[in-house]
Order: sequence, then C-alpha cells, then structure tokens
Amino acid sequence: MTTVASRKNFKVLSDNGALAGLLVLVVALSLLAPSFLTTQNLLNVGVQAAVVAVLAFGSTFVIVSGGIDLSVGSVAALSAMVGAWSSAEAGLPGPVALLLGLATGVVAGLVNGALVSYGKLPAFIATLAMLSVARGLTLVVSQGSPTTTPDVVTSLGSNLTPYLPVPLLVMLVFFGVTGFVLSRTYSGRAMYAIGGNEEAARLSGIDVRRQKLVVYALSGLFAAVAGMLLAGRLSSAGPQAAVGYELDAIAAVVIGGASLSGGVGRATGTLVGALVLAVLRNGLNQLQVSPFWQQVVIGAVIALAVLLDTLRRRTR
Amino acid sequence: MLLEARDIGKSFTGVRALDGVDFDVRPGEVHVLLGENGAGKSTLVKVLAGVHQPDTGTVERHGSLAVIHQELTLVPQLSVAENLFLGRPPRRFGIVDKARMRQDAKALLDRVGLDVDPTTPVRNLGIAGQQMVEIARALSLNAQLLVLDEPTAVLTDTETDRLLAIMSELRAQGVGLVFITHHLDEIRRVADRITVLRDGRSVGTLPGTATVEHMIELMVGRTIDEQYPRRRTALGEVLFKVEGLTRRGAFHDVSFHVRAGEVVGVAGLVGAGRTEVVRAAFGVDPYDSGTVEVAGRKVPAHDVQAAVRAGLGLVPEDRKGQGLVLTSTVGDNLGLVTLKSSTKAGLVDRAAQRSSAAEMAKSLRVKTSGLGQQVRELSGGNQQKVVIGKWLLADPRVLVLDEPTRGVDVGAKVEIYELVNRMTAAGRAVVLVSSDLPEVIGMSDRVVVMAHGRVAGELPAGTTQDKVMALAVQEFPA
Amino acid sequence: MKGMTKMKFRGVAALSAVALAALTACGSGASAGGGGEITVGLAISTLDNPYFVALKDGAEKAAAELGVKLTVVDAQNDATNQVNQVQTFTTQGVKAIIINPVDSKQAAPAAKAAENANIPLIAVDRSVDQGKVVSEVASDNVQGGTLAAIELGRAVSGEVVHLQGIPGASAARDRGQGFEQGLNSGGIKVVASQPADFNRAKGLDVMTNLLQANPGIKGVFADNDEMALGAIKALGDRAGKDVAVVGFDGTPDGLKAVEDGTMAATIAQQPDVLGRKAVEQAVKAARGEAVQEVVDVEVKVVTKKNVAEFKK
Repeated sequence: MTTVASRKNFKVLSDNGALAGLLVLVVALSLLAPSFLTTQNLLNVGVQAAVVAVLAFGSTFVIVSGGIDLSVGSVAALSAMVGAWSSAEAGLPGPVALLLGLATGVVAGLVNGALVSYGKLPAFIATLAMLSVARGLTLVVSQGSPTTTPDVVTSLGSNLTPYLPVPLLVMLVFFGVTGFVLSRTYSGRAMYAIGGNEEAARLSGIDVRRQKLVVYALSGLFAAVAGMLLAGRLSSAGPQAAVGYELDAIAAVVIGGASLSGGVGRATGTLVGALVLAVLRNGLNQLQVSPFWQQVVIGAVIALAVLLDTLRRRTR
Repeated sequence: MLLEARDIGKSFTGVRALDGVDFDVRPGEVHVLLGENGAGKSTLVKVLAGVHQPDTGTVERHGSLAVIHQELTLVPQLSVAENLFLGRPPRRFGIVDKARMRQDAKALLDRVGLDVDPTTPVRNLGIAGQQMVEIARALSLNAQLLVLDEPTAVLTDTETDRLLAIMSELRAQGVGLVFITHHLDEIRRVADRITVLRDGRSVGTLPGTATVEHMIELMVGRTIDEQYPRRRTALGEVLFKVEGLTRRGAFHDVSFHVRAGEVVGVAGLVGAGRTEVVRAAFGVDPYDSGTVEVAGRKVPAHDVQAAVRAGLGLVPEDRKGQGLVLTSTVGDNLGLVTLKSSTKAGLVDRAAQRSSAAEMAKSLRVKTSGLGQQVRELSGGNQQKVVIGKWLLADPRVLVLDEPTRGVDVGAKVEIYELVNRMTAAGRAVVLVSSDLPEVIGMSDRVVVMAHGRVAGELPAGTTQDKVMALAVQEFPA
Repeated sequence: MKGMTKMKFRGVAALSAVALAALTACGSGASAGGGGEITVGLAISTLDNPYFVALKDGAEKAAAELGVKLTVVDAQNDATNQVNQVQTFTTQGVKAIIINPVDSKQAAPAAKAAENANIPLIAVDRSVDQGKVVSEVASDNVQGGTLAAIELGRAVSGEVVHLQGIPGASAARDRGQGFEQGLNSGGIKVVASQPADFNRAKGLDVMTNLLQANPGIKGVFADNDEMALGAIKALGDRAGKDVAVVGFDGTPDGLKAVEDGTMAATIAQQPDVLGRKAVEQAVKAARGEAVQEVVDVEVKVVTKKNVAEFKK
C-alpha cells in the first residue's frame, strides 16, 4: 500500500520539476529559519506571490500561444494609476474607477494583440514598445507622484478575516480561471494549437489572428488585476510600481514547466513557479542573506529549476 | 565484417523495442533494413551508432560509422565547403585556409558526384544536394560504414536515381552501407541483402533479388492482396470545381472538377505547382483570378475558415510542419478541426471531443497508447492517420490529400487508401496530389497532370506511367 | 529596388516628422520659463520618483522667476543614457548644465563632455566623482543617516531593522553609513538589514518577512520614505504605536504619514530647494558671476511637531 502511494507521489513530483523544487526549498527553509514554517508566514508568502502570480497567469496564455508579453509590469502600473486617478483626481466612484483601470489593461492588451496579429510585429518588439508607452503614460497621469487608491481597490489588499487575505483569494480565483480557460474554452485550446504549430492551427481553420487578440487582451486584463492588487496592498498606486515584474512573471511561467517556444504550459505550473519566487525572497529575508548575494541566489534558482525540468524531459 | 551486432535487446520504460536482433554489414555491400514504422529500425540504428546502449547483446564495429538522417543537420546559411569542414576547417597559421578548404571540398563533392561550387550557400542547394553534402561530410570523416535513414523519402525520381548510383559507387569503393527505405522498387535496384524487422524482431534476411511480394509478406506478417485497393462508386454531382485559377509566377488558368464519390489524382513533377494550387484553393495562399466552388457555391479567396465552413479539407504535404501540433496529444490533434463546432458559448465540450476522437482513433487503427499520448511519439504512418482523422471528424465534402503516403510504410499506406474508399463510398470527393505515380494511377478515377503551373492534360483511370510522364514534361510557350 | 529604398526613406522621414511634432508638443511641458536668452540644461536621474519630481519642480520655479529657459531631460536611471543627454546639451547651446547623476562614479564622461564644450557643470543632489564641477548643491546623506539614527534612538530603545536602498547605490551607501555612525549614541540595536530597492511594494514584502523572523522589533529605519511607507503597511496597527518608523526624503506621502503619526520622523531633504539652488548657481555661472563651490542644503528632521512647516 505505502509503496504504491509513495510511487504515485513520486510520479507527481517527477512529472513536475518545479513542484519538487518548491518542496525542496520549503523543507530547506523550514530547517534553516525557525519562523518560516508558521501559518502566518505561509500566508505572507501567498500574499507576496499574488501579484506576480496573477501577472504570470496572464503571461501563461501568451507563452502557451507562442508569444511573449514584456509590457505586463508597465500595464499593471498604468491600470492601477488610471484607477486611482479616476477616483482621487477625477472624483469618480470607486467601483467605476476600478472598472476603468481594468479596461485600461484590456485596451493595452488589445493594442499589443493588434500589433502582433494584424501588424505582424514580433511580440517581443510590440510589447517592448508597450512597456515603454504604458510606463510613460503612468508618469503622465500621475505627474510622478503616488496617488491614493479608492476603498474598493484598497480592500483588495486587505484581509477578510485574520487568516483570509484577499490577495491570496484573488490569486486562487485567477488560478482557477486560468486553468478553466486553458482546458475548457475554445480560446484556451486554440492557444495550445497556435503555440505548438501556428501553421497547423491556421490550416485547421482556427482563427489565429483573432485568438491572438484574445490572448493579449487576457494578459492585459490580468496585468490590470495584478496592478490593482499591488496598489491595494499599498493603498496607493505608484508611478514606479511593478518595474521589472514582467521578468518575474516570465520566470514563474517558465519555472512552471512552460516552453518559451510555445504549446506547453499549465496553470498549476505557473502557480508553483510564482510560489517558488515568493518563497525564495521570503526565505532570503529571513535568513538575512547579504543583499549583494540575494540576486545571485534568485538567478541561480531560476536556472536550476528550469534545468531540472529540461533534464527530466530529456531522460524520458 | 565491418559491423556485427548479435542478439540485441532494448526496452524503453517497459516497452520492448528490440528483441534478439542479429545484424551485420560486410565491406562493399548494401544491406537494406526493412520494416514498418515502429518495427524498431530507428532504435537499431541508434544502437549500432552507439547512441543507445543495448540491454542485451553485443555490437562490434571495425571502422567508423556515420548516420545520414532524413532531417538534415547542415547549417543552411553557410557554404557547402564550410559545412563539409564544420568545426575543423583546414588552417594555416591559425587562420582558416579558404583556398585549401575549397580544393578539398571540390574533391569530396566529386566523390559523391555533386557538381556545385563549394562556396554556394547550402540553403540554395535543394534537399537532394544537401543530402549529398551530408554524405560527402561523412566520407571526409573516413566513415567506412554509412547508414542512410530514409534518404529517398524527400527526393524526386531523378534525384533518387542519382543517389542510388552514388550508393553503388561507394559500395565499389568498399564502403558498407545500411539503407532504410519504404520504396520497395529501390531495394531491388541496390540491395545485396535485406533484413526485415517486425515488432522489434528480425523476421528474416533475404537476398537482394527477393520479390516485392515476399518483402511485404515478411514486413506486415500477412499478404497484401492489392497494393492499390481502389473501389469505385457511382458518381454524383460536381462537388468541387476549380475554374481558371491563376497566381502570377506560380500557376496559370488551372481548372478541374471532382464529383461526389470520385477520386481525382493530381500528378506532375516537383515544382509543377500542384501544392500551390491546392493551397490556394483551400484559402491558405491568395490567388489573382479564378474561382473555387464547393457544391455549386463560391468559396471566398484567401480565407481558410470560410473554406472549412464550405466543406473543404486539406491534409497538407508537410505533416510535421503544417499538419500536426507536435507539442500536443493525439486527442488534441484529432479534435483540432472540430474544435469550433464542439464549442458552445466559448466552452468546448471536451467529453464529446474525447469520445469522438477515441472512436476515430479506433476506426483508423492508430497505434497509440491512448489519446493522451504525445503525437510526436507516433510513427509517421500513424501521425498521418491522425491528420486525416482530424478532417474525417469534420466530415468535409471535399478532402484534398497532398502527398498523403510520403514516409508511410506499406501497411499504413493501404489503410490510408481504404480511408479514401470510405470517403467516396459516403459520397464525398477526394483530390489526391501525389508524386508516387503508381499510387496516383492506382487510386484515382481520373488523373489531372500538371506541368509548369498549368494543367497539361487529363487521363482516365488505368492510364500508364509513360502517358502521365509524357504530359508532365510537356513544355508550354512562355 | 531603387523605388523601395525611396519608399523606405519616405517612411522614415514621415516617422521622424511625427516624432518631432510630438516632441515639440510635449516639450512645452518639459521646459519652463522661456523667453530668456539663457538656456540651462537639467539632466535628471529619474522622474519615476516623487523626490526628483519635486526637485524638478523647484528648478522650474526658480528658472521662471529668474527669467531663464530650462530644458529638462530624464535619464530613467540609466547612466549611459545620461552621458548621451549631457553630450546633446553641449551641442544645443545651453549656457550651463545641471546634472543630477544617476551614479556618482559613472558621471565622469558627462563632466568631461561639458568641460570640453566649456560649459559650466553644476551637480545637484549627488556628487560627480571625477571631473570639473563648478558648484555642488547637495544635502548631506551621511549626516541625514546619522540624524535618523539619533531620532530613532530618541523614540525607542531595543531591536530595530534597517531597510536598505538598491544595493550599491550611492544614496543607500551614504545613508546606511551615516545611520550606523549614529547608532552608538542611543539604545538601539540593528538585528536585520535587508534591501527593498527604494520601492514601496518591496518595502512591504521585506518588512513582512523580517517581522516574521523578528516579531519583537521596536523600530525601523528605511533609506527612503517609499520603503518606510511600505514598512508602515506591513506593521499595520503597530506602526506609530509600539514600532517607530523613520524614513528619509520628506516626500508628500512621507510628510502625511508623519502628520498622521504612523511615521515617527523623516529626514527632509527639501528637493525643491535643491532644484532652486542648483538653478541659481547655474544662472550665475552662465552669466560669468562667481559661484559657490559647495552649497549645503539643510537636512532637517521632520517630526509631528514641525511637519506643518514642510507641508506646502
């Protein structure tokens, strides 16, 4: 009995290199840092993973369909800023401001998608341009200063009960949404086909261009949600918020076993990837690793996680 | 003996790929390795080359071995000479000696009978020339043993002739050759010995003079009554009509039609414009003028989705590049065309997709461990069945098959022909584009022959290869 | 082939025209004053940070009052970018250049470019390590760090944590150094020092994590207000009650937190004064008048008592 069970567990782990890596990290940190394995700290990790995780869920769509979205950090900042500005400066009601912020993300994503699918721009270039434009617009809207968020956004960053932080909840909801979209919807199935072989998808009658629009719009929407979470946690939207988060998001997706050449990737993998990054940062703080070494360690872990996964695939 | 392998056994995760196989190669002989896809040929080659360690048995090699794969390993941007000496260019004073490299390259190219300037970029060569460069590179490494893994699958007839001639030449030079091919007629032209593999076992070694029937019988373990089992049905209305289709520089004024229950073959030399025409008709590429009709209704140009809605289907010539999503499973690939029709309000009915895919896989006899298996793990013939299967699920009125049996073994070929019969029996129309003349003659009810982008003529069923070729080489006034 | 090149050229030309028009349209916002004969270039490290925005605002106000034209460029924290921008200034006929270096150590080429063009260079907020600078307008970060330690020691005693800026950045170095120098005067002990990159969100996360390992801390010093505000978020109700937070910079949000009592103190750098003084020195240099080699802008400890003076 036990051998069967343990063999099954082993299979789950060997099928998912990132999950194994996460468990190794958690065990190591539990041994090294006495305060790591406490309910409160694990909740903290979840909350800290939330922003990158939601960004990464959006990026999962993009990467599965064979693209890349470098603009998600900037779009997150812009969406949050538009939301905060609409309420604080333009005096709109909070929920309306929130919706405006989310719409901003969708519009930015649609522009990305249009540039990629109709403009035939490489995704790297189109979204790199958006990275700059969105960050610039954030500065224009904010005039360089942080802006207070409406209550409805702030509540996104707070706790429902002491043991139920909203960001964690939002992360789990979007995890479910991502899994559902990928496995059950037409767009999700089309993403795998387009990312795996765009020509074969097109020759099978899939509307590749429209689906790409959907993909980038989803990425923009998720970025906006992540931006709201980030702003909510700080009660303010900052012009410098989420700088460089796109790389964390991409790292999370890839750690989770997705292939940057498209066609492969899952919501669970991405969640694990985001948790790996958050656990790592949390642990490095608690172990008080020298600031100069922290970036080295994070980079090494990213490389190691992906390497393990690649090796596992190769030996199959 | 250049190579002696005894009692080779090899398993992968519990699946027995090779079981007690003996295989040897003498200097100066062509030893053909024959078997259906999945019989264990590739595994055996990998064991011989030392890529895989056998679980049981021994491999003794006297001399170095080079494998020429179907997928070439050249760097397309580099010149022929640079490819030949990749990683080990002749140097003088530490600097690449280009003059000597060109000279040495020329000598090597002469040996394989390839008459090109060594400074030509490899990508300008065409697939046959690239193969010659690969062979020349192997020779430059003093390979005494050459394994040619399905080299002729991508070659035209003349190119194949040349390759076979070079093989005979190399044999005369004392090189030992292992030759893998699905074209049984080629075997009769070069083989000294033929070893047949089936389900991982060696089922016999025949002399080079063995009959085709004998080879097939050993390969598939049963006799195949007919190589081309076309069953004709009564013809109905015109289902597919291409009228005056023209794209400047590619094809000109191409017209043909196919009736319900009919198979129309499209023959011609490579470059005659056959693939270009069917791609354009299916909406993949644009055209300048002309019309395409399905069951009397015009299909809009350059719109694949409209073509699919109108009831057209295309099994493209490049299976891996255009037919399959290799990163996905068998089930997902089977469900690709019907993804849209099984979607309601954005949600895919996955259960229905799964059950219809399972049914299709079963009825096509796709050899797979299940719908969840990665499609890239299947053999070529089974992959092709998946591509055809995804279209059968959509039940198109007109199915265009572009080189449907290329790289597919004999057994699977016959099964694909049976699928064609099934389609026409159900009142559908089939367009069969093929470079395999016996196939296009044997399976078609009419043959349209193309040359230089035009329809050169039409021949009835049961025509001869000579008649087809006469039309195919026809010249048109410019 | 030829037609193609021409078409491409036309495309590029059209694009350039659009870009130029856009620049002119936006440019009005970047340059204040106008009308004066003297143009001063201000190369700012980044406008992603309210502190530097305040510095820019102060500079623009001073320029308007003095009747000179001020051209502002933003290096977006990229030292190479900044060198290019200063080089561009030298070809635009500016009479003086104010540089707010992205990095003190990497500003030498910019100084060299100004020197070669015989244009006086004024450094603001951060110094230029190598090269000729006619005037340096700065507040003393080291002194500010020391003041922060003293203020924190005055507010609490016991264990404290230090949230550091971007590892290796000069402001982080200087403030950290000053903070450590000021420690021996009070009854506080640093139990953890971790980087949060001058960023509010990171301040929140790092503080949360440090709290987990050190629940009993009494105080926090952050190298800037943004991180301090993140730490206050992490502390929740404890901020201002049993944990004292000291920030640095005196940004509007920071001052508000001092006023609200969640932040015990911040070290106000008066960025607007820095900007104003830099422009004043630049105009003097441009007119050939004598300039002050070192202009010290006072660093002030802001607490609830005197916060009103700083809120404008």
